[in-house]
Amino acid sequence: MLISFPNMGPNWVAFKTLFTALDLDVVVPDPTNREAIKIGVKYSPEFVCFPFKATLGDFVNAIEKGADTLVMAIDCGPCRFGFYASVQERILRDMGYKDIRVIPLDQADLLEFHWVKTLQEVSGRKDLFIYSKYIKAVIYFLKKAKLLNDIQTAEGLFRAYEHNLGDTTRVVNELLEKLDKANTLVELRNFKKVIKNDFNSIDIDKSKTPLRVGLSGEIHISLEPYVNLDLRRKLGEMGVEVHQSLSLYDWVVHKFHLNYHRKWLEHLAKPYVPMDIGGECVWVLGEYIDKAKAGFDGFIHSYPFTCMPEVTARTIITNKLKKIYDLPIIYFSFDEQSGQEGFRTRLEAFYDLMEARREREIKSTPEFMANGQKKIYPQYGGEFYNEIAQLIQAE
Amino acid sequence: MGLSTTGDKKRYKVGIPRALHYYRYYPFWKKLLEELDVEIVLSPPTNKNIVEEGVTHGFGELCIPVKIYYGQVLKLVENNPDLDFVFVPRYVSEVPESYFCPKFLSLPDVIKILPEVPKILNFEVNVKEFPISTSAIELGKQLGKGQTASVEAYKKAQAYFDEYHNFLRDGGSVNHALRLVHRNLPFKLPKKEMKGDLRFLLLGHAYNIFDTFINLDFIKKLHEQGVEVLTIENLPEYLFKKPVIVNPRGGVLRNYWQHEEEIMQAIRFFLTKGRAEIDGVIFLISFACGPDSLISELIMRDMKVVGLPFLEIIMDEHSGEAGMMTRIESFVEMVRRKRKRLGLEPRWKSKIKFYEGT
Repeated sequence: MLISFPNMGPNWVAFKTLFTALDLDVVVPDPTNREAIKIGVKYSPEFVCFPFKATLGDFVNAIEKGADTLVMAIDCGPCRFGFYASVQERILRDMGYKDIRVIPLDQADLLEFHWVKTLQEVSGRKDLFIYSKYIKAVIYFLKKAKLLNDIQTAEGLFRAYEHNLGDTTRVVNELLEKLDKANTLVELRNFKKVIKNDFNSIDIDKSKTPLRVGLSGEIHISLEPYVNLDLRRKLGEMGVEVHQSLSLYDWVVHKFHLNYHRKWLEHLAKPYVPMDIGGECVWVLGEYIDKAKAGFDGFIHSYPFTCMPEVTARTIITNKLKKIYDLPIIYFSFDEQSGQEGFRTRLEAFYDLMEARREREIKSTPEFMANGQKKIYPQYGGEFYNEIAQLIQAE
Repeated sequence: MGLSTTGDKKRYKVGIPRALHYYRYYPFWKKLLEELDVEIVLSPPTNKNIVEEGVTHGFGELCIPVKIYYGQVLKLVENNPDLDFVFVPRYVSEVPESYFCPKFLSLPDVIKILPEVPKILNFEVNVKEFPISTSAIELGKQLGKGQTASVEAYKKAQAYFDEYHNFLRDGGSVNHALRLVHRNLPFKLPKKEMKGDLRFLLLGHAYNIFDTFINLDFIKKLHEQGVEVLTIENLPEYLFKKPVIVNPRGGVLRNYWQHEEEIMQAIRFFLTKGRAEIDGVIFLISFACGPDSLISELIMRDMKVVGLPFLEIIMDEHSGEAGMMTRIESFVEMVRRKRKRLGLEPRWKSKIKFYEGT
């Protein structure tokens, strides 16, 4: 039995460990590419949202590499995501892959422990002895997801300061390889130091004062670099600090009801949308308010074309929040038709806008700038964020 | 606004936009609000102006029914500047373990930020958290009514709503019934009965099928072709008792969108026992409708297995009359030829058979 799962940026490292810790064989699909998207688009319903098409393409790719068991997360929320697994299985069957299995991973509420069922089904064992392995698998999964989150945080900051274009990307890729190979608890415990050391070795220009941009949106689009046209790297190489708290770890911890950052964002968004309506709607609103209060220079909202909750978020931001908080925002809705050049033009225009706004702000409020840096309120960011920020600011 | 200081009660004036859930719940709302002593103002039927207004205020990726809702709200406010409230309900779930589309969940939130909209009369239906009578009490509070009065009003409204549903199941058409409700007339079937040689099932959301402007009077067009039309509302209640399992072999998934669940339950009957009762299925979808994009795919794949003719029409604000006419005509012609080839009798006056108790 060969297990596979769809791509979501670098998170294959975490998913892989979830199954290898159970002594199962895993095949990781190729990074999402043109061919996969083409197949996904060909066999998917016409105007379903883009992650559906991308993940279907990944599945086909994995099957061709030999996988016969596919794991797909499901939800029972109001958005389309809950249907992915079953409709995709149906489509794969009709395409002629008769003997594959799609195993749903119920993540609606992780404290209901439906995911144990998935692990039982995947491993084919239900006896008590396997449970110790489940615990190991979950601990490894969470640790690696956390470390991936840390890499993402550091990457967003460092790329804006690097001397040689591409250094950060290289370091990140090396770190992913290393993290994939780290399979003992001791290594994982020390991995944070490895991340800090590796990033510290990058040649950076500490005198820069880059623009700060918050990033949020639908989770698959925000994390998968091929479908969002490598938004994070492009921004970084333009010399923009990218702050994205959205990650797999962020989401999983939220589903364990322990993500206090998200609770704070919900609190901020409550006057505008009082409940979770699926997708990331509530948290996008919260992030927007949070970033505006933290004195950011801009905000980017990326989502799949016609995504129902994100479209609601966009409506509320354009009609209301933008008038209150006045933080520049640009929306990118991605589907298989997105073109590189138009995207880059829009991004560059947005960059110019943010730069002009910052210059105006410096002129009008000189005391707003401390040491040539724009102040971010002190409680901003997590523990790791502050450590990384110190690395950059240290002389 | 509100109660006047002299002590004599002023009746609140509440506007209801004629869009989205209007086509599904209007009789219920009307009875409920009237029992709570409220004057109801209804916005005019959708027209070109309203659609244009909606399109300018809602942005491109919204589906057309929501854009019409925007337009209807703005029209309502423009026509009646003395409104006390606009009735914008928040339908979260009407059956436990199910939801409505996310756009319904956040409807009051996107409406209240439109320019010059008066206060919103909130009516949140969320049976996951509390029963509908509680929602009615909350509604009564906003109108200055006590608990007992609100619960009484809710009971009466529910009874009236059941009566309305029974009328529809007897074969009344929704638009006809809504007209009767609006004019406070008793439910009575029209004398002239539509008879055709073909019978189609028309699937889709009520706001797509019964908004005659946006679907270019689709039902009438079918009637002109000599086709009897069934909608979900005309089907007996017991078809909707058992949930549809979308994918029995994979993860057992319960369909969690209520509208879509009804569509799937209706189609389940005609795919199995009721296969011979209809000649074809037409699914009306508005562009960018999230739930329908997946459901129509599932239905289409089922149809291929059973061999039932299936037409999927996607519409938006740019729908052209001629193109739609051509598609309908060719589809009807195709089905008619198929019947002829199979040597089947035309359906004139044959009653549809529902196998009770299955």
